[in-house]
Amino acid sequence: MEEELNSIVESAKRNVSAVNSRAGFEAFKAEISGPNGTLTRVMKGMGSVPKEDRPAFGKLINEAKTELQALYDNVLRSIEEAEIAERLGPSIDPSLPSYALGPGSLHPLTQIREEISRIFKQIGFTVAEGTEVETEYYCFDALNTPADHPARDLQDTFYFPDNASFGNVSKKEDERYLLRTHTSSVQIRTMLQDDPPIRIISPGRCFRRDTVDATHSANFHQVEGLYVDKNVTVRDLKAVLDYFFEQMLGKGTKTRFRPHFFPYTEPSFEVDFSSTHLAKLGSEWVEIAGCGMVEPAVFDSVGYDPEVYSGFAFGMGIERIAMIVYGIDDIRYFYQNDHRFLKQFA
Amino acid sequence: MKVSLNWLKRYVDLPEKPQEIADALTLLGFEVDDIETTGLEALENVVVGEILDRQQHPNADRLGVCRVALGNDIGEKSIVCGATNYKVGDRVPVALPGAKLPGGFKIKRSKLRGVESDGMMCSGKELGVTEDAEGLLILEGSPELGTPINDVLTDSDTVYNLEVTPNRPDCLSHIGIARELAAWYKRRLMYPEICGDHPLEERPDGQPIFSGVAVDCDEDCPLYMATVIKGVKIGPSPDWMQNLLSSVGLRPINNVVDVTNFVMHELGNPMHAFDSRDIQGKRIRVRLAYDGEVMTTLDDEERKLSSRMVVIADENRALAVAGVMGGQNSQVKEDTTDIVLEVACFKPSTIRWVSKRLGLSTDSSYRFERGIDPHSLKFATDRAVELLLETAGGELCSNEYVVGGLPAWESEVSLSPDWVRSKAGFDISDDEIESSLESLELDVATSHGDWKIGIPSHRGDLDRPIDLLEEVLRMYGTHRIPSSVVAATATTRNDSPITEFVRSASGFLVGQNFSEAVNYTLRSQEEQTLWASHVSAKELALKNPISEDQTQLRHSLLPGLLETLKLNQSRNTGATRFFETGRSFREVNGKVVEMISVAFLECSESAFRSWNQVERDDFFSAKKRVEIIAGFAGVDLDRFSIKPVNVNNAAWQEGHCSEIEEPKAGVSVRIGLMNLSRTKEMDIRGEVMAGIFSILPERLRQAKRVKFSPFSLYPASSKDLALVIDQDEQAGNVIKTVSKIASKETKGIFDLEDVSLFDVYEGSKISQDKKSVAVSMTFRSMERTLKDKEVNKAFEAIQNEIREKTTYLIRD
Repeated sequence: MEEELNSIVESAKRNVSAVNSRAGFEAFKAEISGPNGTLTRVMKGMGSVPKEDRPAFGKLINEAKTELQALYDNVLRSIEEAEIAERLGPSIDPSLPSYALGPGSLHPLTQIREEISRIFKQIGFTVAEGTEVETEYYCFDALNTPADHPARDLQDTFYFPDNASFGNVSKKEDERYLLRTHTSSVQIRTMLQDDPPIRIISPGRCFRRDTVDATHSANFHQVEGLYVDKNVTVRDLKAVLDYFFEQMLGKGTKTRFRPHFFPYTEPSFEVDFSSTHLAKLGSEWVEIAGCGMVEPAVFDSVGYDPEVYSGFAFGMGIERIAMIVYGIDDIRYFYQNDHRFLKQFA
Repeated sequence: MKVSLNWLKRYVDLPEKPQEIADALTLLGFEVDDIETTGLEALENVVVGEILDRQQHPNADRLGVCRVALGNDIGEKSIVCGATNYKVGDRVPVALPGAKLPGGFKIKRSKLRGVESDGMMCSGKELGVTEDAEGLLILEGSPELGTPINDVLTDSDTVYNLEVTPNRPDCLSHIGIARELAAWYKRRLMYPEICGDHPLEERPDGQPIFSGVAVDCDEDCPLYMATVIKGVKIGPSPDWMQNLLSSVGLRPINNVVDVTNFVMHELGNPMHAFDSRDIQGKRIRVRLAYDGEVMTTLDDEERKLSSRMVVIADENRALAVAGVMGGQNSQVKEDTTDIVLEVACFKPSTIRWVSKRLGLSTDSSYRFERGIDPHSLKFATDRAVELLLETAGGELCSNEYVVGGLPAWESEVSLSPDWVRSKAGFDISDDEIESSLESLELDVATSHGDWKIGIPSHRGDLDRPIDLLEEVLRMYGTHRIPSSVVAATATTRNDSPITEFVRSASGFLVGQNFSEAVNYTLRSQEEQTLWASHVSAKELALKNPISEDQTQLRHSLLPGLLETLKLNQSRNTGATRFFETGRSFREVNGKVVEMISVAFLECSESAFRSWNQVERDDFFSAKKRVEIIAGFAGVDLDRFSIKPVNVNNAAWQEGHCSEIEEPKAGVSVRIGLMNLSRTKEMDIRGEVMAGIFSILPERLRQAKRVKFSPFSLYPASSKDLALVIDQDEQAGNVIKTVSKIASKETKGIFDLEDVSLFDVYEGSKISQDKKSVAVSMTFRSMERTLKDKEVNKAFEAIQNEIREKTTYLIRD
């Protein structure tokens, strides 16, 4: 009996090396442990073993079973390993390049716009949007721009034919449609819709009838801000712009107000900055924005009482900021979309 | 506007360096575009020296070693010099160590061929005053030793090119700018003095020369003053006047014309002198031009006039375009002896219109357009007369011809210093406010915190307290406005839904390896009709485009993106995926609407070959992207019917594109392959798969908060169904129909979780005009594990319903 068991195990050990597939394994296993297998047969002989020998015999059988099971496990593992190896193929060369598709990227103008929005959100300004097609009232009249102001000229502003009709751009009366020359029209529409306090920025596309060159584009982007509340002062305006430019252009950035003139603010200023971070510019003052306290006539046109409310507004070019921040010297890069340009900002 | 520093110094004391004055002007609100220096720049450490002797340089034949006397304060220096044009005893400019010559050359003590040189004797070229580089600049007149060279060579000037904002017409003159600088430096402004006294009764009669003025259009010409001077002698104007005029870019012509130009630039009043011989009928008439009237202006151009233009005329013809330019027929000539001097006031909008209409902008029209203070006319006339008599001789005739009245001027603004401080947001003392306003020639009457500020007639821009705040801040120095901590209150609203939507869509596409492009909104009509033949070009066209290639609003973002792709292909950048977000415009029921669009495209062809190909977009991956983008806008595209794009639409490849048009929901979608022959015509290599989602901005809403729905923890059970349907039936409809039937049949028993389509078959096993689709339905209950029996029962019912209610054949 013991010999028989030994020979089963020995023979299994001998033959196992020939097993190299799942089917071969099943056949091999059946020959031993299957219903008619050699081991099964021996186990069936248990009945004829004298009662007193049974424990010893049982022990022998268990030992053989354990040994065979280990054999099975081993062979099965190596078969599975072989299968995986076959499925995976040869090892990879990790130095081969990754997929040819480069990373996607947001356009630098979008990135600057988003950065501006983020900075202003920190101090309570949220983004307001408006249409690119506007009417003369919201772009000029409501902003206290005189009827014969040069900005309104056909030379400088794009107009639509008198019979043009826009479904989702409302008119005040029967004024002309045009392409907005600034996003101040968003401020007017926001003030007409909401009551103070108002704290918005309005980034977006604007249009001026400029011939394209290194610093001009008929199509450009601006961001304007508006704050209206009780007791807003010139100093508050300075504080907000100082905060913004230091965040945007780096710590130590200084700003300076210069008196200027805009029809929609009084007093009006142009803002210069100087920053040691932007080496190209040195310590010179560089013009960057326009701003001022909201002109009382503008409040009149939106129905705010200038005796009760005061506020400030500011505006700047997104292209210009992007050019300064990234060191880009020609505005046309922004509109060519050469991927070698775009991917630098990925 | 050009302003000469020498000229300004006639009216205000300005010892500051030219750059400091430029900074002051900038802070006063007059941006300095450029600074031009003529003559000698301001130089330090360059002084007058006398050559005491010259020794031959021991090591160089061409060099001499000179002993130079530089006055008691500096003493003597030994200087090596290569020039040969001097002799002992000559006085020359000497640049001492520390001097910086024009062009940036710095002088230091140095050794030249072994001999110490303690400075440099300079040529005219080295100082930047002449072109002579050969020899030393020998100074005439024996100037004092050690005198700074700028005190010797004094014909230098600095000219500022200033930007004067439209609210400050009073500053379009040297006196105006000088007034600002005097206020800034708190110095006295010295007006030109008019000392000549010409009492009317002592003047000769001007009648035989000139007999009067008539103004037909008093609205366009509210005030006109004519003065007669007889017996002038035409010749060159004095050097000082010629120099000043040249410095601001004016060509000296003759004494009479130069005086009119000088006074215009001095006081800001344009004026014109006529040769009285040429005034036919001896009378001037200010009238509207006749339509088609022609005259030749001083610039030798024949001008066609029209009836809205104002002319200065005699009884027969126009002599000048009022306020813009004089005519050749009456100009002052070499033999002119009697002149009529015009000093007037014209309506700004009229002059602006005329100037633009004629395409003729002059120093005169520029000033009239911005407005002339009528109260200034008399002083300007007196000043000009005085200078004319001084430089051209002649006699002032009696009878001043004045037509039109002087409007009354009395302007007072109430101002409280506390109000000024509350608007400024920082402390400015009463004294400082008062002295600021007074320095600008405003009349300040202080009493009990409520001040009355009298405004002079040249400051018509000041009529409210807020205007005075600006003046106080200007004088205080806007660069001194203090900063502070931002008083940030809580954000009162969210970013616009448009911003949020575009942000999400862009972020998604960037994550899918798309690069954002920014293209022009304005496109050419040719491109527009090429890509969207159904677009009515007229509806989107501008009235006044600037060029042929930018005549109308974009109907779609895709033509721009194709251009981007094309550029990248032609430059071999290898990029294949681009997207853009922005506004597009389309006509709906005769009205154009502005929509928010997100568009993307992928080209099958890259310039680069790669060992490892990425899966390319097919129609369905593009569809997936559009669905996700629509989701960011809160739109479920499944709600809408998707159709093949109209076959007449040239933009798309027939059979491989689709559209959703839901004007009610404000949604428009296109997905598919761009028309292959069109992209090929554009020289684009490969196939372009694109998608565009557009929505009316007013349809975008702030995202709603999600409500959690509980889900079952019991296992699901599923049943498959193969259906034979008509070839042209949309698979999407089958899913919708089966879903509807299945949820009806399981209602109240358990839930239909999903209906998915897992196979589409066309082929030999079914007839040619049919196709087979296989759908799988998943069922689940919230309360229990489903039993086969109940699922089978429901499945039976569903099949029966399909047989009864649809044309679908159930395949076994």
